[in-house]
Amino acid sequence: MPTPTGATIVQGAGGVATRAGRRGNRHAWVLLRRSFGRALRIGLAALAGAAAAAPPQEVSQRLEPTAVEVQQSAVAEPSQLAANGWATGTLPDNWARSHPGMMGPSAWYRIAFELPPRRPGSGSWALYIPYLYDGGRFWLNGQPLASIAQTTPLTHVRWERPHLIAMPDSLLRVGRNEVLLRAVLTDPGAGLRLQRMTIGPSDELLPFYDRRMFWVRTMPQGAVVTCLVVGAFVLFIWWRRRSEVLYGLFGLAAVLWSIRTLTFVIELMPAPWWPWWRAVYHAATGGFIVVLALFAMRFAGIARPWLERGLAAYWLIGPVAMLASGGRLDSKVGFVWTGGMIPVGLALVGFTAWAAWKQRSGAALALMLAVALGAAAGIHDYLIAWDGAFRLPDFFTGWAAHRIFLLHHGANALLLVMVAILTLRFVQALDVAEELNRTLESRVAARERELQARHDEIAQLEREQSAQDERQRIMQDLHDGLGSQLFTSLSRAERGALDADGLVQVLRECIADMRLAFDVAAPEQRELRAVLGDFLFRWETLLRDAGVHLATEVALPDGLRLPPTVTMQLLRIAQEALTNAFKHAAATEVRVAVRQAGGSLLLQVADDGCGLAGPSTRATGRGLGNMASRAQRLGATVEVEPLDRGTRITLRLPLAQPGHAS
Amino acid sequence: MVASVLIVEDEPEFLRRFADAVLADPGLRLLGAVSTGAAALALLGAQQPDVMLIDLGLPDVDGVEVIRQAAQRCPQTDVIVITMFGDDGHVLASIEAGATGYLLKDAANDRIAASIHEARAGGSPISPSIARRVLMRFRLAPTAPPAAREVSPLSERETEILRLVAKGLSFETVGELLAISPHTVVAHVKKIYRKLAVHSRGEAVYEAGQMGLI
Repeated sequence: MPTPTGATIVQGAGGVATRAGRRGNRHAWVLLRRSFGRALRIGLAALAGAAAAAPPQEVSQRLEPTAVEVQQSAVAEPSQLAANGWATGTLPDNWARSHPGMMGPSAWYRIAFELPPRRPGSGSWALYIPYLYDGGRFWLNGQPLASIAQTTPLTHVRWERPHLIAMPDSLLRVGRNEVLLRAVLTDPGAGLRLQRMTIGPSDELLPFYDRRMFWVRTMPQGAVVTCLVVGAFVLFIWWRRRSEVLYGLFGLAAVLWSIRTLTFVIELMPAPWWPWWRAVYHAATGGFIVVLALFAMRFAGIARPWLERGLAAYWLIGPVAMLASGGRLDSKVGFVWTGGMIPVGLALVGFTAWAAWKQRSGAALALMLAVALGAAAGIHDYLIAWDGAFRLPDFFTGWAAHRIFLLHHGANALLLVMVAILTLRFVQALDVAEELNRTLESRVAARERELQARHDEIAQLEREQSAQDERQRIMQDLHDGLGSQLFTSLSRAERGALDADGLVQVLRECIADMRLAFDVAAPEQRELRAVLGDFLFRWETLLRDAGVHLATEVALPDGLRLPPTVTMQLLRIAQEALTNAFKHAAATEVRVAVRQAGGSLLLQVADDGCGLAGPSTRATGRGLGNMASRAQRLGATVEVEPLDRGTRITLRLPLAQPGHAS
Repeated sequence: MVASVLIVEDEPEFLRRFADAVLADPGLRLLGAVSTGAAALALLGAQQPDVMLIDLGLPDVDGVEVIRQAAQRCPQTDVIVITMFGDDGHVLASIEAGATGYLLKDAANDRIAASIHEARAGGSPISPSIARRVLMRFRLAPTAPPAAREVSPLSERETEILRLVAKGLSFETVGELLAISPHTVVAHVKKIYRKLAVHSRGEAVYEAGQMGLI
């Protein structure tokens, strides 16, 4: 098992020490605390990147001196240091705590270590320092080794990143070596903090450096960009759909978090901007927590406007105090005001727990867990940042020296959970909309079908009604025509005024009239052309048997239908005309032409008989009179014209109403 | 050759009328004149008339059934149905049972004889409404969806003729339109009658087979 960076057990050289600050009784509860601390340490070590280690088969050569010598001095070069000014100290060091009240531009650390004889080809050595916030300069055995940009009156630096400083072989020697560090003591509030440095082969140190670099710098960089893009996207959605307040709050939280995380990304800043940036930083951090609280309240369905206003008011205090004091209250705001956000964070856990209890959904539970984790991480970070202000358990002091902040990872996880929840809601909303659409469509379709059915029903009733009306009219027609003819004939036959021939003629006329009625009263209202076809078919046989040729020419459009009574009158007129030609005109050829001419129906019956001047003028005249009166009832006209040979009767029936033609 | 005629008609007045018409025609021989279906079937068992004139409204047996049995026992017999108005549904049923023509009840004597000769010579003319019914029988109307159409035994030409006749065109006009003689049209019509009867018989056999009767 490779040794964690934070552990004190190091193989090899001098400067080996025991854990700093371990003292006090060994009561059982202390043991308990320590074992808990170990468990926590092992867990966190993974995050610290310490577990990435040298190949296990090789014994580590890393040195991690803890005993150091310290001197506060403003001088710039080691040669100017007072030889007797050194005092003993330990790493990690928290200057504000180990040297309370000792302010000055810089502090010097002298770290001695024993270099064992190195195996040939074991590579170059380096010095790994996890953080050096305000920069500083290094010497090795009296020779300048490295310089990390320092805070000056013009520039404020804040190095979150680790440093890996190569130690040239030419400066190293077997046996005792000495590293000097001049660290800047600028920020009286934050003070100087120094973690143990690790000295060892570069190959062994690189993984530690890389791991920490990833967690404290690469990761936040990614988080800044991702949160900004996602936040802007979600805010855009909210801008277009203002009612989706959860989206707006989430977008705001993401953007605030992106701004807040810049603190891990910005390393150098013009000094005058620094207080402003800190104000923005506090505003973003506090704003993030407050917005999250509002989100959680809405998510849980808790509506307390006064609480929301109170949260917003509290949020304003920090940035306003920062701006009002010109940045001088930075540490007060950081300690007191940010500390005040811890109850807000705990309330947040409460809100989400309430939501999880009420909704009993995986999403609510996940949100609660993420918020709880975030709150724990926030408290953890707060304790690390202000480790000087509390009396913390030993293990935590050691851990705190690593200065590993967890909130931005916890917040990332929380934001991810929120994205998942909102995405889920979005998808559900789409599903609901789709379902709604389907329901609506099917309802509309059902309503349409209903309407159609009703419409069909009405149409059917109308058809039945009109068919019934038509039948009624035909019955009336038969009653008036056929009936009266039968009664008249009966009366005439009874008084002997009707001979056998006359009776036959009357009865045949009656049968013919009945046939017409059957033709037009067929159950399906047929096209005029079909009715005419049956009519002319009968006449063709009749005329052929009598030696008369019937030539027909029917040119009617498809689908032309007339009301049955109209058709019946039309056929009666045609029948009268054909009877005239057949019985009285002694014709050898009869031509029937039916066609539509303009808005009228034209029926022509022409024969080559003896014409109107023939012997049967009286009967012919009666027939013509009948035709004229029938035509008049139809609103039609009958025209009788003599031809060179024979007669032509033309009936013109206006088809004014489009209903007739439909 | 003189054609033998069997008349089946329950109204004595018309039985007499048709018998007179047959007797008056030298080309026809009256084989029998009966007024019940049973008598007709009994006679058909013993004799094979060339033509059978039959009224459908018999008192004992359905006329259509008599036609069906006649078509089976005496396939050479031409059956003519007597109808009052010529367009009732029974005419089509008769044609499907094997009739090859129909005769209006009020036809004059000459027409009765002429119809019998027409039936012997080729086939009776077909009226537009009968043609229409045949088309509907096979859903041959152009508006019917193809899937709904029953397999028709009729050829395209026969179907075409039926459509034109159903529209009300005379045989003469149909012949002109299709550039064939009216006689050919009549020959087609005769084939239509035969096919309808054969088709319906085939269907009956098929259905009987389905019901396990055969």
